Amino acid sequence: MLIINAKIVTAGENGIIESGSLLIKGSKISQVSSGKTVGSGPDRISGLKVVDAEGAVITPGLFDSGTILALTEVEGGTRGTDFKADKTDFGAAFKVGMAVNRHSSMIPMVRASGVTSVIVRPSAGSQNIAGQSAILSLAEHANLLNDGNAMFVDLRERSRVFSGGTRAIAMTKLEAALDEAMVYKKNKKAYRSGKLKQLALSELDLIALEPVIDGDKPIAVYVDRAADIEQVIKLLGNYQLILVGAREGWMVKELIAKHAIPVVLNVLDNIPSTFDQLGARLDNAALLASAGVTIAFMTEDIFTETKSLTQAAGVAVANGLPWDSAINAITVNPAEIWGSVVSGKLESGQIADLVMWDGDPLEVTSKPTRVMIHGEWVSLKSRQTLLRDRYADLSDKSSAFGYR
Amino acid sequence: MNIGAKQSARKARGVFISLLAGSVISFSTGVYAKKIDPNPFPSTYQAREHVDTVVTNVHVLTAQKSGDNREIENGWVALSQGKIVGFGEGEVGPEFKRFNAVHGEGRWLTPGIIDVHSHLGNYAAPGYRGHSDGNESTAPTTAQVWTEHSVWPQDPQFPLALEGGVTSLQILPGSANLIGGRSVVLKNVSSRTVQGMKFPNAPYGLKMACGENPKRVYGSKGRSPATRMGNVAGYREAWIKASEYKEKWDKYEAELAEYNLKGADAQPVKEGVQEKKAPEPPGRNLELDTLKEVLEGKIRIHNHCYRADEMVQMIDVAKEFGYVITSFQHAVEAYKIADILAENNICSAMWADWSRFKLESFDGIEENIALVDKAGACAIVHSDSEISIQRLNQEAAKAMAAGNRMGMALTEADAIEWLTLNAAASLGIDDRTGSIEIGKMADLVLWDGNPFSVYTRTDQVYIDGNLLFDRKAGLRPVTDFELGHRDWVVQ
Repeated sequence: MLIINAKIVTAGENGIIESGSLLIKGSKISQVSSGKTVGSGPDRISGLKVVDAEGAVITPGLFDSGTILALTEVEGGTRGTDFKADKTDFGAAFKVGMAVNRHSSMIPMVRASGVTSVIVRPSAGSQNIAGQSAILSLAEHANLLNDGNAMFVDLRERSRVFSGGTRAIAMTKLEAALDEAMVYKKNKKAYRSGKLKQLALSELDLIALEPVIDGDKPIAVYVDRAADIEQVIKLLGNYQLILVGAREGWMVKELIAKHAIPVVLNVLDNIPSTFDQLGARLDNAALLASAGVTIAFMTEDIFTETKSLTQAAGVAVANGLPWDSAINAITVNPAEIWGSVVSGKLESGQIADLVMWDGDPLEVTSKPTRVMIHGEWVSLKSRQTLLRDRYADLSDKSSAFGYR
Repeated sequence: MNIGAKQSARKARGVFISLLAGSVISFSTGVYAKKIDPNPFPSTYQAREHVDTVVTNVHVLTAQKSGDNREIENGWVALSQGKIVGFGEGEVGPEFKRFNAVHGEGRWLTPGIIDVHSHLGNYAAPGYRGHSDGNESTAPTTAQVWTEHSVWPQDPQFPLALEGGVTSLQILPGSANLIGGRSVVLKNVSSRTVQGMKFPNAPYGLKMACGENPKRVYGSKGRSPATRMGNVAGYREAWIKASEYKEKWDKYEAELAEYNLKGADAQPVKEGVQEKKAPEPPGRNLELDTLKEVLEGKIRIHNHCYRADEMVQMIDVAKEFGYVITSFQHAVEAYKIADILAENNICSAMWADWSRFKLESFDGIEENIALVDKAGACAIVHSDSEISIQRLNQEAAKAMAAGNRMGMALTEADAIEWLTLNAAASLGIDDRTGSIEIGKMADLVLWDGNPFSVYTRTDQVYIDGNLLFDRKAGLRPVTDFELGHRDWVVQ
């Protein structure tokens, strides 16, 4: 398939191609070029399905760095959800990926906003080590790209309840857990033959922590307060640390930059709603990026006030972040931070997840007109569009609404 | 005014009604009615003096309902003594040439945004229990509470809303209760007191709530309502009591009027004949006072209701007891009954795109606001959120774009009404604010671009002609709470 006459936001080394074309072969991008021609000339086009973008903007498929998508159909008021384990010994071994409903009717809704990959993450429910997240691709038959891509830890004010009521103990316990994982790793035989002293964590949790201490799996820490960020960097700076939330990140931006720690932000939440986030502000993204920190954006709440990832990116721009950096924060940066096989870039050889827009992709008035995931155009229909169509004309009394 | 000994005695006998200055009516017999003070917490808000100002070369959205002046591309607006005193196209009118000029340089000017659904002050930040003052969830009907008594004027969220262009807002009690209490309409101004923020002479509202919240809160306590049918029974019981209370008071007032009328013509009383006693006023009930005022059309009903079927049930409850619903709040399914809402002249205050955060919001669609507007019903964009209140313009933009994608021809001039005039109308303050018209309050926002763009921010916000936020000049109120740890808010 050949897509011509597009303004291509590559999120890669080629930057923005004002008028270019994309050649898609199978699930991958075969070529990205400026102008209409591909390869040796127009004759190569014959036999290809050609889509004229008519000047529309095409971006990589967007990546939301924090959701509970497909772990619950409704945010609240139902019989529990699958993103939080309230009464369990499971910590590090809890993997939300196993509970993902890839047929969720919520997925088409989110996909229609141009998001093609999301982090599905656990919430701390019984201990500060919340469990492992997954990367979910929002193709029509949604699939997990990476189950257990990162270990989540929550060290915010609200989660100190899991450590006797103080985050000091939460941090000490976390350090002890990582130490135990090291002891376990080095003494597996002794552990299994019962010769090793009893460890506090279960074996399942110890196994789950192994790739974290090996530096193979990111450890994503929910933390907002600047003082806590400093502690966390001291404690976990040698691992693959990701700061999530970091509402006061701008206060310690040089430290974060110095350790090259990526930060995942909810741009729109600038409310001093706890003493942890008195420093919450809309230009946190701009301040961190200007210090050289790699940033990615998450909606956190896909149901209500911060549900729009593109709006978040646009607001970050309005508050000082360069437009290209905002695009990167919802495409290539999260792909890199979270270790996705979809690169978030429109470059040859990459998996073809892309979005065609009816305007500037970050504008609140814009929407995708077409979405491609793994080389296939996907449907933009959802329960919501079906409801709209059913009730679009109330003056039509010809049949009961249930038959429309 | 002469109050005789007999009157004092009557007062001492337990007519526990308060005295409204200037409203004491004296009769020749000495029998008088002391009215219940309808406004015991009056607004003390007074706009400050400001320099006469004319904002020139601006793209004006006036939010006028009709006519040629809905959008003026190269316009100007003149403000004096808190009011809009002139506006027009091109060259500034000669009488305003002496005014202090603010050069718009092609920026956009709109009326101030009015949020009809906010919990700023009654769920103040930081959001700890000590600040949780929005739900008197101790009984399903608490019409006796007035949410202004919960509002903390130092909530650091007020200035954030001001930066977002919000000049007036209605604070509502929460939705835990079937009848949650009185709302209050505020001007978004820095004040030591709530009274100093109160929008002068704005009608009161009363919050009612349908659906999941009341039945969850009380059902979980093992008491009614535990179901939606319990909810409706609860409303009806409350309105029956209110109707009886109103009848008692109406009867008393009629008897008193008759007594005073006769008293005036009365002959001197004969020896041995007992004087006819003046009627006794019924005992006062704070809860029923408020409900009675709703039945009298003095207080407006703002009814939290998500589902289409429930909204139509509520319309019937209102008809049964003879009150009027001014607005449905949230109205996630308004698009399913937009024709019925139009017929009944009920506003819907809605989000642009929220859905599925609970079951009754499962069917939320992005076209809701546009579809309600298209049906000729009153559409309002509201926030119910300290985050969204900072960007209601963007929420309206989403709704406008969603409507246009399904073939409507909505413009910025249409969408601005959802944020301003329609909101003002639902609060009963549209005679004074909500649009750019001569004589209205100079509540205005100067935007650094098209307000329906994600990249646009406010440059200046005026309330009653006073420049209260000026981004470039670093002018912004700083709440007491922010001092010492959020000093960067002024840059």
